[in-house]
Amino acid sequence: MKRGVAIMVGTKKGAYVLRSSKTRTRWVQEGPLFAGEPVFHMSFDHRDGESMFAACNNTWGGPKVQVSRDQGKTWTVASNPAYPEGHRNTFRRTWHIEPGHAKTPNVVWAGVAPAGLFKSTDRGMTWEPVLSLIDHPTSDQWSPGGAGETALHSIAVDAGDPKRIAIAISAGGAYLSEDGGKSWRPWNEGTRAEFQPNPEPEVGQCVHHMVSHPEKGGEFFQRNHHRVYFRNAEQKHWEDRQEGLPTNFGFAGTIDPHDPDTAYVIPLDERLRLAPTPGIAVWRTNDRGKTWKRTDRGLPKGAQLEVMREGIATDRLDPVGIYFGTVSGDVWGSADGGKSYERVAAYLPPILSVSTATIE
Amino acid sequence: MLLRGAYRDFAGRSRLNVEATTVGEALERAIEACPALRERVRDEHGRLREHLNIFANDEDIRRLNGERTALREGDIVHLIPAISGG
Repeated sequence: MKRGVAIMVGTKKGAYVLRSSKTRTRWVQEGPLFAGEPVFHMSFDHRDGESMFAACNNTWGGPKVQVSRDQGKTWTVASNPAYPEGHRNTFRRTWHIEPGHAKTPNVVWAGVAPAGLFKSTDRGMTWEPVLSLIDHPTSDQWSPGGAGETALHSIAVDAGDPKRIAIAISAGGAYLSEDGGKSWRPWNEGTRAEFQPNPEPEVGQCVHHMVSHPEKGGEFFQRNHHRVYFRNAEQKHWEDRQEGLPTNFGFAGTIDPHDPDTAYVIPLDERLRLAPTPGIAVWRTNDRGKTWKRTDRGLPKGAQLEVMREGIATDRLDPVGIYFGTVSGDVWGSADGGKSYERVAAYLPPILSVSTATIE
Repeated sequence: MLLRGAYRDFAGRSRLNVEATTVGEALERAIEACPALRERVRDEHGRLREHLNIFANDEDIRRLNGERTALREGDIVHLIPAISGG
């Protein structure tokens, strides 16, 4: 593919890839790939500039991890993640696939349900369970989130330290490893679980999405069930930065690839799981959540749309491109850093995830 | 063995001739012939996947003897995706 951006869209009925040059003014749609299969997440490996991964979770024949080595032109079915013989868990589906640190170019991570982390050391073709996390002494405190199962859905690799990896589970909270995944500790200080009798438990928080900054080391951001938080790995607790948002609920959130103090979230009404009045908007902070600003130029006025936890992503260009996909099947994109949006794909199946490849 | 729907796609064919005395054996012979079937038929613990219906001739093997259901020469094993939805 020529230099530019690809938006990888996972839907309830297959995947689509939208490709554009760096101008990001005209998008060419490919797909559906894996037609009919729910695709929970796709990712691009910026380390090799070629690999793409897709978490396909078909009802018939079970889940599959698909791997491409040519930027999505052709795909190969990898071995499934598998729990060891006799283990209490049986692999049900993949929620998230995350390329590892730049200094470990063959490592890829997968988060699955029932909640578990798997590691590949051959760029996604085979997987080993990370039992130090899966069988963590606190794992009996993980409970099914809104999707009806425990799931490890977020994997955030610290850009500054290949041994520092954070993960998040619904509803089990966040965990941090500082030795490359050999050991883990709960990493929820300062976050709340208002649905529990003790609203500040050690584990059990309902993290909806957690990311690390792709370039600046130590910077993490999470969209939690009821709040949003920033944390630098050196900090003792998460900083609650909910104030200023129109609701305390949402699924989608991400951090700006150029500035770790800038983040984007799409708040939803908690009861309806839809954008609140006056309709869909991306809320942006440029000061690490001290203030939030509604951005909606170009978005449909009054539309109460729904965006899921993997539903927003940025590219790595400057100005940054911001993209989100709705359950009603549209992809909206901004090529000017969020000043304005336009629809870049329409009438797709319900969108489960949006991720990007910036191809240099 | 006759494979329908998604299972035909996984195997790359709709019909397989296998020699077996039970349904379980027939499945193993089919997987040997079409390795791509393995993860599509069974989970990592060897259990049959949930949305797969297997019939020995006209009977669902759940109502017979499961994978131990005996086969005779000429019997037909059907692999059929379970119907889901409305």
